[in-house]
Amino acid sequence: MSVSVAGSAPQKVRSHVGGMNPWQVFRIAWRAILGNPLRSVLTTLGVIIGVAAVVALTMVGQGSTANITRSLQSLGTNLITIGSNTGGRGGGFGLVRFGGPQTITLADAEAVQSAFADRIVGIAPTLQSNQQVKVGANNLNATVIGTWPDYASVRNAQPASGSFFNETDLQSRRRVAVIGYGIAQDLFGGQDPIGQRIRIAGISFTVVGVLPDKGDSGFASPNYQVMVPLSTYLQRLARSSSTGQPRVNAIYVQAPDKDALPRLQQELTDFMAQRRKVTDPSEYDFSVQNQADALASVNQVTQTMTLFLGGVAGISLLVGGIGIMNIMLVSVTERTREIGIRKALGAKPRDILTQFLVESVVLSVGGGILGILLGLAMAGSVGQLLRVTPVFDPFSMVLAFLFSVAVGVFFGFYPASRAARLDPVESLRYE
Amino acid sequence: MTVVALHQVRKVYKSGALEFEALKGVSLEIRQGEMVALMGPSGSGKTTLMQIIGLLDRPTEGRYVLAGRDVTTLTENQRAEVRNQEIGFVFQAFHLLPRLNVLENVEVPLTYAGYSPQERRERALEVLQKVGLGDKLKNLPSQLSGGQKQRVAIARALAMRPSILLADEPTGNLDSKTAVEVMRLFQELNDEGTSVIIVTHEPDIAEYTGRIVRIRDGQIESDGPNPHRKRAVGGVA
Repeated sequence: MSVSVAGSAPQKVRSHVGGMNPWQVFRIAWRAILGNPLRSVLTTLGVIIGVAAVVALTMVGQGSTANITRSLQSLGTNLITIGSNTGGRGGGFGLVRFGGPQTITLADAEAVQSAFADRIVGIAPTLQSNQQVKVGANNLNATVIGTWPDYASVRNAQPASGSFFNETDLQSRRRVAVIGYGIAQDLFGGQDPIGQRIRIAGISFTVVGVLPDKGDSGFASPNYQVMVPLSTYLQRLARSSSTGQPRVNAIYVQAPDKDALPRLQQELTDFMAQRRKVTDPSEYDFSVQNQADALASVNQVTQTMTLFLGGVAGISLLVGGIGIMNIMLVSVTERTREIGIRKALGAKPRDILTQFLVESVVLSVGGGILGILLGLAMAGSVGQLLRVTPVFDPFSMVLAFLFSVAVGVFFGFYPASRAARLDPVESLRYE
Repeated sequence: MTVVALHQVRKVYKSGALEFEALKGVSLEIRQGEMVALMGPSGSGKTTLMQIIGLLDRPTEGRYVLAGRDVTTLTENQRAEVRNQEIGFVFQAFHLLPRLNVLENVEVPLTYAGYSPQERRERALEVLQKVGLGDKLKNLPSQLSGGQKQRVAIARALAMRPSILLADEPTGNLDSKTAVEVMRLFQELNDEGTSVIIVTHEPDIAEYTGRIVRIRDGQIESDGPNPHRKRAVGGVA
């Protein structure tokens, strides 16, 4: 029992001097945080929300960008689109505007065809509308497109079975149709639709071709499209048009190669302007765009969005960091006595600094991890809502995580160094 | 062997243009194994003296040699190390860390010294058994009586086997019966060779020590052996 303890050991074991191990430091911080769980969660809420927003928005944003890029690429290669321009600059992604008044006509398409025959690979004007498509008792709504046979090559729409309609079908206004994969599946089940009859807006057509599965890429999915000869469309399906030339939604022109695109785009623009006898580009009632432009503008939108997200992330993490700093300052004040006691027992300023710094980093990293989990959940549900497959991006998650570590260190440093500098005498006296 | 040697120590507090001389040249030697009472009314400078002996504060002038080492001009980190290794503090208000249990409280100074978890635990158990609290390891300070808290604090002060125990009004928050028990513990530790300094303004408490140093107005008024040293009796509750 009476083992002599104090003052009796001339050779003290000092080889250990070197401070605490990291696990010990972490445990102290963790206990301090668990000591007031509600406050800790509220403190990190800023970081949680910030990180969650960034993760979710990045995933959904990248998902929809991927969708748009994919559908743009599925439109065909080396493509130039002549569309209506009914106000302001050409439409968004270089996609054709639907719904507005159509200003380009079938005659435009025919004129381009004869004038550019030697310089283009194919040309296909389109006119489209949503129609009820019916087989027996099954029916669904599909986009019905009236076009020319070149559509198959120009828009990358070669049937997987059967064939596309041909020039004769167009000339003779035959009631033949090429249907998307989704329609074939939904209306015919396992049966081969080739040669079968479908009713479009009550009018009977014969299926001559079925497109391969193009994937459900969200909007304008080729899986739910029906292609019919434009002549047939104009005769049977178009709303009784007003007098004059039939109008079309777009004219797709395919260039022989990528290098020919810019020049052809310019020539087509000049040609269309000439036909309209206008010289001032601001008076153009049409737009001529190539696919590269469209992809570029998608990329630009993506970049803008990334910057915007970065801004949101920065601001929310800043706000979150200030929240953490605020609570850490309160915590240092509240624990002044504890700091004094620890100093009296041999804690160096560095030990105290580390203790509070680790506490704020644990808070912010905890917030970061919770934020990532919340962001993943949010991306899942928002993606489902918008029919977008979120792209899992480990890079943005690692970045968000590192950012929250940095926030913890940066905003924890000032409170921690205040704690480290506290005078032991003063802090022991603190009530 | 001399544990504490103060030579002409002055301490001047400055507050703006005001100066207050808390210690006016104090010289004091305390030998290994002594049990000394540092007495004086409030404002006498005894607390300042204790803070300087405990390396919580620095003297404005003079020299301080602790356990053979001149500690007058040490860096902040070195002072922390010396506090950790050589000084065992016992405070009037116990100053236990409320979120840590008894065992963990005693382990705190061992942690700062860098001991491994096993060594910490062994040492802490040893000193806790010594103060008679081997069965309260997992209790939080709030679950202990005042006397028990002070004994945990004493165990914590002993954990690093310091050169000296420095107790600032250790019985100030205790009833008289518990106070006697705590003094008995100090006497037992002193019997085993531990040097103890007890800062107090209560003559009753000073009676248990072997030497009484009286401070007044920042100077040593008297310093001499206590001829009527009392033995604290009664079981350790």
